[in-house]
Amino acid sequence: MRQQFQWRSLLLSGIFGIVSVAIIFQMIRIQTSPQAVSLRDQGDMYLGEYQTIYPPRGEIFDRKGHLLAGNQTVYEVGVNLGELRNPQTIALALNVSLGMDAAQIITALTKAPANQSYVYLKDYVPADKAAELENLKSQFAAQNTGGENAPSLAGLTFKPHLARSYPENDLASNVLGFVSREDRGYYGVEEKYNDLLAGTPKLVWIPSDPNLAEQMPEVPGGSSLILTIDREIQATIENILDSTLVSSGAVNGTIVVMDPKTGEILAMTSSPRLNLNEFWKFNDTYPNGAEFNRAISTQYEPGSVFKVMTMASALDTGTVAPTTTFFDPGYYEIGGAYIHNWDGGAWGEQDMVGCLQHSLNVCLSWVADQEGNNNFYSYMQRFGLGHPTGIDLAGEASGRLKLPGDDDWYQVDLGTNSFGQGVAVTPIQMVMAASAVANDGRMVVPHVVKSIITNGRQYNTPTQIAGTPISAQTARTLSEMLAQSLERGEGVVKVPGYRLVGKTGTAQIPGPGGYLDNVTNASFVGWGPINNPQFLVYIWLEKPQSSSWASQVAAPVFQRIVERLVVLMDIPPDSMRQVVAGQ
Amino acid sequence: MKIKKEKVGQTFHATRSKMNHLVQAYREAPWRTQRKWIVLFLLGTVSVGMITGIYLDVTSRAALAGREVQVLEAEIADNQRENADLETKLAESLSTSKMLERADAMGFVPATPEDVDFMVIPGYFPPQPAAMASSDVSGHSPALDPRFTQSLFGWFDQQLQNAAAH
Repeated sequence: MRQQFQWRSLLLSGIFGIVSVAIIFQMIRIQTSPQAVSLRDQGDMYLGEYQTIYPPRGEIFDRKGHLLAGNQTVYEVGVNLGELRNPQTIALALNVSLGMDAAQIITALTKAPANQSYVYLKDYVPADKAAELENLKSQFAAQNTGGENAPSLAGLTFKPHLARSYPENDLASNVLGFVSREDRGYYGVEEKYNDLLAGTPKLVWIPSDPNLAEQMPEVPGGSSLILTIDREIQATIENILDSTLVSSGAVNGTIVVMDPKTGEILAMTSSPRLNLNEFWKFNDTYPNGAEFNRAISTQYEPGSVFKVMTMASALDTGTVAPTTTFFDPGYYEIGGAYIHNWDGGAWGEQDMVGCLQHSLNVCLSWVADQEGNNNFYSYMQRFGLGHPTGIDLAGEASGRLKLPGDDDWYQVDLGTNSFGQGVAVTPIQMVMAASAVANDGRMVVPHVVKSIITNGRQYNTPTQIAGTPISAQTARTLSEMLAQSLERGEGVVKVPGYRLVGKTGTAQIPGPGGYLDNVTNASFVGWGPINNPQFLVYIWLEKPQSSSWASQVAAPVFQRIVERLVVLMDIPPDSMRQVVAGQ
Repeated sequence: MKIKKEKVGQTFHATRSKMNHLVQAYREAPWRTQRKWIVLFLLGTVSVGMITGIYLDVTSRAALAGREVQVLEAEIADNQRENADLETKLAESLSTSKMLERADAMGFVPATPEDVDFMVIPGYFPPQPAAMASSDVSGHSPALDPRFTQSLFGWFDQQLQNAAAH
């Protein structure tokens, strides 16, 4: 009896054992099969995702704390294919709301690869459009009858993120630059300080399993910048430039306002400006990228404003004094060529103030010739001409100063260079060079960033002295000469109560076969008040139509700017400042 | 008397031996062995159940905490974006063009130098440029704290100088 049960139990044990082994074998086979690998891979797709956390881009403020460049929420629109119910509705809604091609959307949604779970459709969708679509999605969801063809936006997702925004639109656009969709800065401060503003993105694994959720790593935001730009002054010079371009018929214009003691750029503009919130219109606005900020990237022959530097060098070397006289016969021969005055006339005996007042090319050529090649070009180099100023903006041009010994330099160039022809400069180079005269001989490096805010600390940028090309005495003497020449002149620049310094410059424009007829560049450099300069203004108008002469188109602009500057900068009249200084 | 004592001793030993046999038999009874295994099995089952329960409890708490972390992080990101949006909207409302429009609408015109009267006010300081950071404004470029760059000798020298100064 016992043996009978024994063989039965053995049989059953064997059967169960074989079945168990078969099950285990099958389990192992399934686990190691190619299909299992594929399934595991598919499963891994849903474990979580790597996300690049882009820190919010640093903000940009003007010197008084007004926001010039901030961030605002935009949305990436896509579709979760697992939730998709009606591609036609999504295509139609996005076509109407965002202007997207409905056929392309349907193709993207219906012909997505089998292992794809999400289809990207559009990024940088404004918040109001995203809200509109979300509202529509909710309405369809509420009305959904469950029918196969019922309209539905199920699956449509909106991922928010921050994007650059410029609340002032085109204000100071030439200085700010812009940020592309790839979050990269182009031109101006945005390009120059891109790494600082953008911060350091971090790649982070975001698990779907809440068990694996961890605190997100700290991704510090980009540093913020406080610019030296004063929003009110910036808006003022932009308005003045815009109206001047209309009234003068000039093709383009540039205005720079700088504090000559610190090198802080208070305002800088050139035409045209770009609404930075519509940066994709860049190519239409600037067929040539170098025109984005003409103040730093466009070089030109400045004309007679250059005489400030010529006279400064001559005074500093002792070649001439303010009372030195020169008899102007109407021409001056140098290097086998003849130099003539702007009016072709002979002005007779003139002192150096008269030479500046009447902007006599003949006189200044004589001055430069007396000074000699070595002295003249040595001083021009000390003024920083032919080299970038080092302003903290992207895309600065270096200009061109031909030097004795260069293949294309001839002796006549000394004569033409003395009154600003045959030399290529940028407006910012002229501003920096003029700062030496306005600032007792100390030439300051222009800059637009006043402070950098990083990790809750504010770091101020110090004033940088680029050199002392002339002595303080020379600077004061020349300032006085320029003020006198301005006062003795036709009275085109007069701001009651304030003594100002200035020099006009009208330059012919070089073309392929020599200088062009009937078109000029009109410039003006000036600063004030003379005994305590607080602003230095440079104006450049290209090809003005109302008049070719800077004294008629550029000098009045200087006056208009100064009239506003003394109010905006709270600069009391000279008499009151003297009273205060005497107390 | 001695014989009687021996008989009593033998009887006692015999009884004791019998008792031992009975206890042994009781201990090795089949039902008792089965019950012992059942108890052990139940004990194991309860232990596994308890461990499983505790594990599930801890896991669910961790899952809830993880979900809460995710929700809080999403809220932080939302708040940061909302903050940036509000800041930008405020800047748009106070932008130069909008302010000029409002000033024009209210009948204001730009002041000219003739419109402005200056007065000497002792102790008046003009508005200073913006200080946006909460901490002290530093005049230096970003740099490491001197404690991280100072040599031991430098630190010792500084301590001596401080002591001498005091």
